[in-house]
Amino acid sequence: MPKDTIKLISAEGFEFIVDYKAACVSATIKQMLSSEGTFTETETGEIKLQEISTPILETICQYFHYKIRYQNSVTKSIPEFKLAPEIALELLKAANYLDC
Amino acid sequence: MASQKKKSFKIEPFKHAYTLDPGYADKTWKILEDAIREINGHNASGLSFEELYRNAYNMVINKFGDRLYNGLVETITAHLRSIAAKIEATQGESFLRELKLRWDLHNKSMQMIRDILMYMDRIYVKHNNKVPVRQLGLDLWRDVVVRNKRIMDRLLTILLDHIHRERTGEIIDRSLLRSITQMLMDLGQTVYCDDFERHFLVKAAEFYQVEAQEYMSSSDCPEYLKKAEKRLAEEIERVSNYLDPISEPKILNVVETELIANQMKSLVEMENSGLIALLEQDKYEDLARMYALFKRVPTGLELLRGMMLEHLKETGKGLVTDPERAKEPVEFVQRLLVEKEKYDRLINSSFASDKTFQNMLNSAFEFFINLNQRSPEYISLFMDDKLRKGLKDMSEDDVEGVLDKVMMLFRYLQEKDVFEKYYKQHLAKRLLSNRTVSDEAERSLLVKLKTECGYQFTSKLESMFNDIKTSRESMQDFKNRNRGSEAGTSADAGAPRPEDELELTVQVLTTGSWPMSNVAKCNLPRECERTCEDFKDFYLKTHSGRKLSWQTHMGNADLKATFGTSKHELNVSTHQMCILLLFNEVDSMSYRDILGATGIPASDLKRSLQSLACVKGKNVLKKEPMSKEIGESDTFSFNEGFRSKLYKLKISTVSAQKESEPEKQDTRHRVEEDRKPQIEAAIVRIMKSRRTLDHNSIVAQVTQQLSARFLPNPTVIKKRIESLIEREFLERDATDRKLYRYLA
Repeated sequence: MPKDTIKLISAEGFEFIVDYKAACVSATIKQMLSSEGTFTETETGEIKLQEISTPILETICQYFHYKIRYQNSVTKSIPEFKLAPEIALELLKAANYLDC
Repeated sequence: MASQKKKSFKIEPFKHAYTLDPGYADKTWKILEDAIREINGHNASGLSFEELYRNAYNMVINKFGDRLYNGLVETITAHLRSIAAKIEATQGESFLRELKLRWDLHNKSMQMIRDILMYMDRIYVKHNNKVPVRQLGLDLWRDVVVRNKRIMDRLLTILLDHIHRERTGEIIDRSLLRSITQMLMDLGQTVYCDDFERHFLVKAAEFYQVEAQEYMSSSDCPEYLKKAEKRLAEEIERVSNYLDPISEPKILNVVETELIANQMKSLVEMENSGLIALLEQDKYEDLARMYALFKRVPTGLELLRGMMLEHLKETGKGLVTDPERAKEPVEFVQRLLVEKEKYDRLINSSFASDKTFQNMLNSAFEFFINLNQRSPEYISLFMDDKLRKGLKDMSEDDVEGVLDKVMMLFRYLQEKDVFEKYYKQHLAKRLLSNRTVSDEAERSLLVKLKTECGYQFTSKLESMFNDIKTSRESMQDFKNRNRGSEAGTSADAGAPRPEDELELTVQVLTTGSWPMSNVAKCNLPRECERTCEDFKDFYLKTHSGRKLSWQTHMGNADLKATFGTSKHELNVSTHQMCILLLFNEVDSMSYRDILGATGIPASDLKRSLQSLACVKGKNVLKKEPMSKEIGESDTFSFNEGFRSKLYKLKISTVSAQKESEPEKQDTRHRVEEDRKPQIEAAIVRIMKSRRTLDHNSIVAQVTQQLSARFLPNPTVIKKRIESLIEREFLERDATDRKLYRYLA
């Protein structure tokens, strides 16, 4: 049963509560939440992402909303998604993991 | 040297200091393997998606993708082997159900396994060109379970048995079959086709072969067709119920071949219920079914058409050559029309207005209408009959309808020139005796003929109409003139005329446009002669240089006659009038005297006398001796005692009747004569443009050019060519005797 919001937990144990729809920007998360099988994630709506640190997960959550906000936008003026260079590599790895 | 130093310069890749735990891969795979087992055992609750995904992810990025993938294949294969054994172990009916159940579970498990191995699917499988997990699941199921010999054979037998049972009327679990065939289809079309459909079609062919035999021996043709139709519908339904749509054309083809193609010949030839019987009994519905079914097989319609053509030719031949029927021209044509209408309706209602059948119908009619040489005459007679009286109580549309139909028959005629000849004769009689019912209908028919055969064909007919019109006008002028000159003697134009005054109506006809031979003018009574001279003077005054010759055999007259106490008005032909007026002076005359006094040609005279003396109720003359025929030694006398209830009497003139045998010969001869110049003209036209041509080509082209009017006989063409050579229009080639040259 899809819930409106879900909980993403970082490696350090910080909890981010995100819109279900936003979280589904990640194909991996989407699959976790909607899998046919009876995995714990599907049932509880909580995903513990043990490989992702809090700052990275925070940026990811921002990106989810950014993506939803602008993906179907027709205006040309889409603001740049700013990120600090020092987290770029970590973020890239996480993006690969989450398929987003 | 410096460059050598530079060459040795190298950038060292950055090395990770970190090394993996050597047991890492085994450990991780163990976790995943256990999880897959759990999933296959349907005990997945409590597993963490994230954890499994992360493990698979890590295995892939740490280059253990092979290990992961192969491990997966092994695990699944092992699992499916045990499943296969379980399915095999089931007994009887539950086999299919077990198979379906296991299949559903397998799919569900594979879905979950695919989910957790998503990263592998996305990265490893793609880069190494492996089969994706979902397809892997299907392939393994196919190879391990379905293509397991013991399972496959049993599956096939059960499926075919179910289908056979349904064909024989039992009720089966369609949804179960549906899911099994769907499974086969999911495993790939080749699995469905090779492992199932092939056998299914063979079985169906066997079944329907037997059934066709049974049906043939137990049912008549319409019943058989109904059954075949039902079977086809059933198979379509079966496909839509639990087979894949790709099977529909194949199974239909099997049924069509077995039930229709292989049996159709015996079907149409079935006695008392085959095609002929259906045609004869107007079984439109059954024929429509036959058409629809036969259309499905390659040569079906051909067979149907061929047989119908034969039948039509046969019955048509019967119609046109039956001497009994040929006696009544109107009846004769009516029969043809009825026949035509019947088949038109049949083709429209039962054969979906199939063009090929319409063509067949046309060729059949063309064939048999031309079998009877008198067809052109009869068709013209039929039109004549309709235009004289038949159209009286019909609306304009109906008239058009009838005319259109006759035109259809006309189109089939090969000897259109013969028709033209007769039509002209009949039209002339209609126009002159004022017997046309509707001017409009006449005109409309003329237009139809014109569109059909072109201007040439109708130009003379049109000029006939014009003659009648101008005659009417000049008659008007003539009467006005008379009235003007009489103004002094008779104050009132409407006052009764003196006894000997007669009203003359003349129709001036263009020679050549009208089909009449110059018959010698008969001796008119004095009174008439004077008025005729009057008209002649009048006419020549306005149209100088023309020559008028009187065609007394075409005219008619109204007479007032007194028989003792009763008075009558008689409508007779001019000839009859001449005869009757003789009796104003004498009471009795011999045949020879009449012949001498009137100068009417013998055959006409005999006919006129016959209608005056031998028709009961209209015998204004008495004949001695009394008999039906006129003999040369007969004597005629005025029938003083003639009585009739009617004041006005019409002594039937010789109307357009079927020609007698010598007349027919005569007409035919004239037609043949008329054709000669036409053939010659065609030959000259062709040769003028081609200069040299061989004999056969000339014949072919002449035939083609003249086909709109008639079908020239090759020997006649040959004769014409010879005649043209004699007259030095053509010459034979010096070397090749078959070749002709045009001489300018």
